Amino acid sequence: MVTRNYRSLQMHRIPYTDLSEAQVAQALRPTVSGPSSKSAFSDVLAGKHLKIVTDDGPRLEYNFRNSRELELSENGAKAIKAGYGAMDSGGLTLLSHMIPGSQRGYEVVVDPRTRLVTVFEVSFSGYAAAETAAAAEAKRAPQLKNGHRNREAQRKIWFGYVDDGTAAPVARHLYTNRLEGKGMHWKQDNDIELLEFYVSILYSNFIELTRFGGEMTVCAPTDYIMVNDHQFIYSRIEAEFSGTLTLQLIDLFEMAQKGVRLGLNEKDELEYYMYSGKGEPTGQIASFEVFGNNGESRGPRRLYRPFETFEVMTDDEVKDQVLNHAHAFGDGHGSGAAGMGGYKGELITKFAGKSLTARMDDGGPVIQYKFIDGKQLKWRYEGNSNWRDAWYEMYEPDADLYFFAHLLDAEFPRSCAMVALDIKNGLSTIVKGTTGTPFRNNETHPTYYFGIFQMDGAPTPPQYLRHKMTDEMVGEAYTWNYSPGNPGLTSMHLYATPSTYSWIIFQADGSGGLQWSSPGWYSKLRDGVYIMAWVEEACNGTLGVILLNRKIMHDAGFGYHVGRQGGLSLSVIGARARHAGKFEVMKYLGLV
Amino acid sequence: MTESKMNGTRRAFFLRGGAVLGAGVAATATATALLPGALPPGADRLQELQRDLTLHQDREAIRQLHLTFTAAVENQAYDTAVELFEFHAALELSGASAAGRTAIRQLFATQYRQQLGPVVHNAYRHSPLQQPDLITISADGAQATATFHCEVELSTPLPPNSTLAQMARLQGQMAERHWQVGRFEARYVKGAGGWKIAALRFT
Repeated sequence: MVTRNYRSLQMHRIPYTDLSEAQVAQALRPTVSGPSSKSAFSDVLAGKHLKIVTDDGPRLEYNFRNSRELELSENGAKAIKAGYGAMDSGGLTLLSHMIPGSQRGYEVVVDPRTRLVTVFEVSFSGYAAAETAAAAEAKRAPQLKNGHRNREAQRKIWFGYVDDGTAAPVARHLYTNRLEGKGMHWKQDNDIELLEFYVSILYSNFIELTRFGGEMTVCAPTDYIMVNDHQFIYSRIEAEFSGTLTLQLIDLFEMAQKGVRLGLNEKDELEYYMYSGKGEPTGQIASFEVFGNNGESRGPRRLYRPFETFEVMTDDEVKDQVLNHAHAFGDGHGSGAAGMGGYKGELITKFAGKSLTARMDDGGPVIQYKFIDGKQLKWRYEGNSNWRDAWYEMYEPDADLYFFAHLLDAEFPRSCAMVALDIKNGLSTIVKGTTGTPFRNNETHPTYYFGIFQMDGAPTPPQYLRHKMTDEMVGEAYTWNYSPGNPGLTSMHLYATPSTYSWIIFQADGSGGLQWSSPGWYSKLRDGVYIMAWVEEACNGTLGVILLNRKIMHDAGFGYHVGRQGGLSLSVIGARARHAGKFEVMKYLGLV
Repeated sequence: MTESKMNGTRRAFFLRGGAVLGAGVAATATATALLPGALPPGADRLQELQRDLTLHQDREAIRQLHLTFTAAVENQAYDTAVELFEFHAALELSGASAAGRTAIRQLFATQYRQQLGPVVHNAYRHSPLQQPDLITISADGAQATATFHCEVELSTPLPPNSTLAQMARLQGQMAERHWQVGRFEARYVKGAGGWKIAALRFT
């Protein structure tokens, strides 16, 4: 059982300081002496001379005076002195150092058996300039809304070899998809425990069990490089968060890691240490490239920056949208099959003319309904004399299990009701979606209510049995294809903990691409039938609620969103699923 | 459609269709010539050959007109596509419809050029498993109907508010695309400037 150390703010809610270049330089000053480490450093490089040639990159000439001090000449320039650290991993050497007086340094992986080298040139205070140049070339505005991100580590990757005076090797280390689909639990020598999921070739997600308690998974742009069939270089940068670099060698024979972490934490304090760790695989899920595609080539680096794209709305703007620009299902014209509803099920209209009451437990809402036709209903809270009109859509994701949604009162904040009716036993679950969170008014949040419903002809509901929250989905991964085509609009959900999930957008070749995460909640209605809700916090603000049926690998659901375009919208979600696999992570989360 | 796709798919299909028709006409003429008792008088024979030739030319012209239309859509040369229609023509492409050349021009300018349509045609290709095209010329040679079977790549712009779509765009995916089997049904009129499209519908 891990020690829980929950934090008041999870990573996506921490307001990381937009540090100036000078502040970053000051914070990095201690790096001159090299990284720290709980475990002993390797002395494998002590006393050695190493000349590294990279393709289209720097020429590095090292003299290692001992196991902690080096001299480096870059591209034949005058040598500088720096502290360093080195660690061995199954015959590979990981070297880490910064260049005194600068905000950059090198993480170098050397394979003495093949003489192949991968060099990460790491720097800080470089985002704004690079982004401005990229934006100018692409004729778009630079993404600087959330600051200059001087704290965010930048990296350039160079492949090369050790020049020992003999012929240069032809081979190089290669980008790879060979880690794609793998999950690992790591316990480091500094007692830090993490779950890592390598379910994309551009991103990874991880759960900080010791530092953040393990509630949330977060995602970071990641580089995967193959040294050989069992040794890999993994490197992520916690972009949009602290900006910290984590680079590690993973040895799948030994299930061991040797790594370095370099960056500034949420207190703007330097973290620069090397570590070793032992791992346990948590699973291997499917990947979706065609056979023979080993992911060895990479296009331009892709980063998802939700803090840039999330439109921040004022209270008045949100209030105006939810009161005056609210639309449910196209105001009766239907949700259409575009976007997230490309595989929506058949619209259920059989409740037309019927009345029922959804009665939630423990002071939850009690809502009376009259279904006028297949698109309109009247509703009121029990005890209230006024009936309200609302547009609705209803689907049947499992036999005699219906799921419909409609907007609630025109008030601020504004809510919607997503109602499941289980005809087989009279149970009902309502997920009430409401605009606003303590952080942003144009985010949403769900509230689960469990109870029963009463309708002529419906079974007498049970006294004690209810739909309930569940952790049965923890570790599961499902692809969701929202529209025809390959990849079409398709993502994969990874339900990593009982309170979070992440989604991966497939690239054209079937590989996992950009990835992000949010809180998520899971309830069980029947065997193999669940309601999953998520809120795209600090990202888009949307509430998605799907009733997913593993028997037919299909869902029916609804999206609830506030934005400047489209106002407040309640729309349909309908997608087809494939089971990608499962990670066995329950024990690490303290669930078994 | 790329040049290679043109060569390998639709263009080959149309050219192949034309070649078959040409071979058929030639075979008929040869067979007729081998039946001495059935031979018409010289003048009638010349007229018949002239009619066959005109028919063949009209069919080929209509094929080329259709080829020009599909190529224009693929290359987003929408002004070129519009000029292929006669003034009162009707167009219906997978839910997008317009009556009259002015409206057709507007349809291409907005729904296609600005990607405002719910779904747009992006490319065409022919499958050898599909039925051959069919062109029927009226007796007076002034009108024609045709059916062209093909597969169309439908492109649906990604929705603006979806996070998924936003992330997909960052990966270079601007629209959902998928292939669908269907056919063009068309009506043509022949005027002073040659054949024009009077009605075109993709179903």
